[in-house]
Amino acid sequence: MARQNSGGIMRPFPRVRSWLRSCFHRSRIENGMEDEMRFHVESYAEDLVRQGMRREEAVRLARVEFGAIESSKDECRDALGLRLWDELWGDLRYAARMLWRSPGFTAVAVISLALGIGANAAIFSLAKEVLFRQMGVPNAKQLRLFSWAQRPNSHVDSAWGSFSKNKLGEMTGAPFPYPLFVEMRRHNAVMEDLVAFKDIYKLTATVDGQAEPVDGVLVSGNYYPILGARVIAGRAIAPADEMSGAPAVAVISDAYWARRFARSAGVLGKPVDINRVPVTIVGVNAPEFKGTKAGGTPEVFLPISVQPEIIPDPSGSLLSNRELWWVLILGRLKAGITDRSATAALRLSFLNAYRSTFPEKKESDMPRFEIRPGGRGLDLEQQSFRQPITVLLGFAGLALLIACANLATLLLARSSARQREMSVRLAMGAARWRVARQVLTEAMLLAILGGAAGLLLGYAGRNLIPNLFEYSWRANTIDAPFDWGVFVFAFAITLITGLLFGIAPAWRSSKADLNSGLKEVTRVTMVRSKLLLGKSMVVFQVSLSLLLLVGAGLFLRTLLNLKSASLGLNPEHILLFELDPPQSRYTAQQRERLFARVQDAIAQLPGVEAATASAMPLLADSMGHTCYRPRGGKGAAGHGGTAWENEVGPRFFGTLGIPIVRGRGFTAHDDQHAPRVAVINRTLAKKLFPGVDAVGQAIESCSVGPLVKPIEIVGVSADAKYSSIRDEPPPTVYIPYSQVSELQSMTFELKTAASTGSIVPEIRTAVRSIDKDLPLLELRTQTQQIDATLSQERVFADLTSGFGLLALVLAAIGIYGIMAYTVSRRTNEIGIRMSLGAQARQVLGMVLRETSLLAGLGLAMGAVAALGLTRLVGSMLYGLRPTDPLTFLGAAVLLGVVGLAAGLIPARRASRIDPMQALRHE
Amino acid sequence: MPKADKLQGSLDLLVLKVLSRRPNIHGYAIIAAVREISEEVLRVEDGSLYPALHRMEETGWIKGKWITKETGGRSRVYELAAAGKKQLVAEEARWRSVTFAIDRVLRTV
Repeated sequence: MARQNSGGIMRPFPRVRSWLRSCFHRSRIENGMEDEMRFHVESYAEDLVRQGMRREEAVRLARVEFGAIESSKDECRDALGLRLWDELWGDLRYAARMLWRSPGFTAVAVISLALGIGANAAIFSLAKEVLFRQMGVPNAKQLRLFSWAQRPNSHVDSAWGSFSKNKLGEMTGAPFPYPLFVEMRRHNAVMEDLVAFKDIYKLTATVDGQAEPVDGVLVSGNYYPILGARVIAGRAIAPADEMSGAPAVAVISDAYWARRFARSAGVLGKPVDINRVPVTIVGVNAPEFKGTKAGGTPEVFLPISVQPEIIPDPSGSLLSNRELWWVLILGRLKAGITDRSATAALRLSFLNAYRSTFPEKKESDMPRFEIRPGGRGLDLEQQSFRQPITVLLGFAGLALLIACANLATLLLARSSARQREMSVRLAMGAARWRVARQVLTEAMLLAILGGAAGLLLGYAGRNLIPNLFEYSWRANTIDAPFDWGVFVFAFAITLITGLLFGIAPAWRSSKADLNSGLKEVTRVTMVRSKLLLGKSMVVFQVSLSLLLLVGAGLFLRTLLNLKSASLGLNPEHILLFELDPPQSRYTAQQRERLFARVQDAIAQLPGVEAATASAMPLLADSMGHTCYRPRGGKGAAGHGGTAWENEVGPRFFGTLGIPIVRGRGFTAHDDQHAPRVAVINRTLAKKLFPGVDAVGQAIESCSVGPLVKPIEIVGVSADAKYSSIRDEPPPTVYIPYSQVSELQSMTFELKTAASTGSIVPEIRTAVRSIDKDLPLLELRTQTQQIDATLSQERVFADLTSGFGLLALVLAAIGIYGIMAYTVSRRTNEIGIRMSLGAQARQVLGMVLRETSLLAGLGLAMGAVAALGLTRLVGSMLYGLRPTDPLTFLGAAVLLGVVGLAAGLIPARRASRIDPMQALRHE
Repeated sequence: MPKADKLQGSLDLLVLKVLSRRPNIHGYAIIAAVREISEEVLRVEDGSLYPALHRMEETGWIKGKWITKETGGRSRVYELAAAGKKQLVAEEARWRSVTFAIDRVLRTV
């Protein structure tokens, strides 16, 4: 007969509900059971009495027949699914008691896990924001960004934007000429319309007479409707706003609304000046929409049609300029169109647009059209942050793995110490998996305590890492939200961690040998094999620790090398600020005059030793370069070469401490009426005029045309670093800014012994007396500026040293733990040895030998792993190779010494064992 | 005396049947009823009855409620729920078909 459906199959939902109810209304259910059983026994007893039995006898019999009320209740509990809960609860309580009884172990476990999990959660939250956050619009994944790749050596038009080299060595970029966009948009078939935008930095916004710099974006009229970006007040920019004659409007970001207007509703319709052009604020973006450039936080969104007024260009409107590649194009894929077919269709459309826009150009000069994922908009962050964040996550992951190995070691030692307890439990009839579950529960409880503490730690430190990446004088722009995603991540790694370090000890306990576990005598023989697992854990841990220490050493030395690198200039006591007079109000000549006036005014401030100006701030990752060749030199490739250019003011070399080795520097007389002059550095002099004195020679720009004028070299300067400490001084040419026709912003440099606090108000007053609407931008010292370019290196040195320190401490604890345990288990053996004549020194040596064997094995394995892995960070180092022997040796010696010191304590304890006591102990 | 719950699937059937005839009786009365009606042939073990009652209550076949006795203690009595009535019909039908089949085997072979 087949098994019939007598038990009744419950649907899962009521089952869960009843189980939960059973768990939460526990006492009521227990009372009910008790009452019901008692009633049963009473009724039975009544019956027996009625049959003529004495009452006491009847009650006794009823009880006996009913059997153990308790076991009956247990079965009822089973029917309710309470047993699992009971056992779990029991395990948990027991685990908590065990942990409470060894506070030292618990503290080490929870703290090391908290640090590991906290660091991982914090770095993960950063990675999620910086590498993966999608634009705050619906279905961002459908968006595609247009881009191109240009073969090396093909003719390039002028471009405005960011470019990078791809794996094939081609230049790739995303900007396009506006007329090309118009053409492609007209013939688009695979996208739901195309939108154009351009991020513009440092616009000057004047609100209620107060001028301040803001970041902005120019957007095409269909930008908002096509992207689906939300506004929370007023209206979005609409296609009508880019019609000619439409009044200039702006939509502002939620953050700007909060910061500048305190979320006042009165902001709608408010007139403000952007670069001196009056515009009306018509809307406020939703907080989740931060524009179409990953990591950017533009504050003002303007229709692209205002470009000619707000950022005028000497060549005229950029909207009709065919030569300048500058706007970025996003499109939303139509439903059902694959990337492959879209690329094919768009390439054709690009070819046609290119032909009609540039009828005179050869097709061989045409860049190859490509599309990129556009869900993050223009994404330059991936490229610059992917490697550092991956490396940091790797470090944090290793640190957590070390914490796991450490805990596994300690738990293994404890589980061996609890061999008897486990054997007793097994002997009493506990199932092996029950015993294993108990140990695993303890591990999980530790993991969850550590995870919770880690989450708190990560939350507290969530802004620490982004802050380290920022320029200290700017407001924080990376906002890594600590949301449910991070919570889930932390929870997941907590569980994995618990399993990782809990499974070996759990497995070990369930294997407890009943027979020998209960007998004390046999333990000496057991210990060795049982500890093998624990010892291999320690070896593993030491090897990982060496890996982290080597990494930390490499990054630390990179930072030190960079800090002590010779710059070729003296950055001490130099204060920097920038002026960016709006082009809408200053012509090129007015600008040049303004800069000269400001430079004179600040040079006369009390306490200022010297003042100058330069178009490029030094060591700020900014650069500009031009091709120069000796005057009259034909064949540009042979004689000419790219030179890094800086347009500088009088007294530039003296103020920055760059020595002039031949000839002279610039003076105020080198203005637009004087003959054109230049100072070049030694490297360029060697390149253009090998073996000849460069002073008195003339150079000219490599391009051809009537505008090419000869420039006389009046001096040769020593080599000084230009944009980055990492790069050797490039061939550099310095030109007086007064002889340059197109000046934009200018950075002023002041040599002063006065404190920043006292001099800055005076500078402000001086500048305000010249133009009251001109804000001082990017105020910082040259040293701060240099430090800022090292922020990533500093983050690495700080974090990896932190992880290295953690690894070092944990390695010491691990070695101490396993050796202390070995010694305690071998008390008896050591006692025998000593009673047979072994000296304390020999015992000490024996224990230390074992310690050094463990440490040595770990170091050897770690060194091999490090040799393989440090190559991956080779490009991030400076002044040393990834296999730098000094760093490897230093890390190994440090770890070895700490390991031996940790082993010394148990070794001394072993050497002081009193043989009599040790033997009696048996 | 065979135990009712050793006959596979019969315990639930018996309990449901008894409750369908005599609603609102307690566990002890169910045992007594089975014993009495079967003329002492079938016996329900108290150790099996109570877990079965709890299980069937959770499944929704029977409903239990507390009643207070004059002596002050309380006892739990059970009655059939709608789902239990359906279950009873199904179980009865199945039982009959099974016993009929067994009977036929016994007679024929």
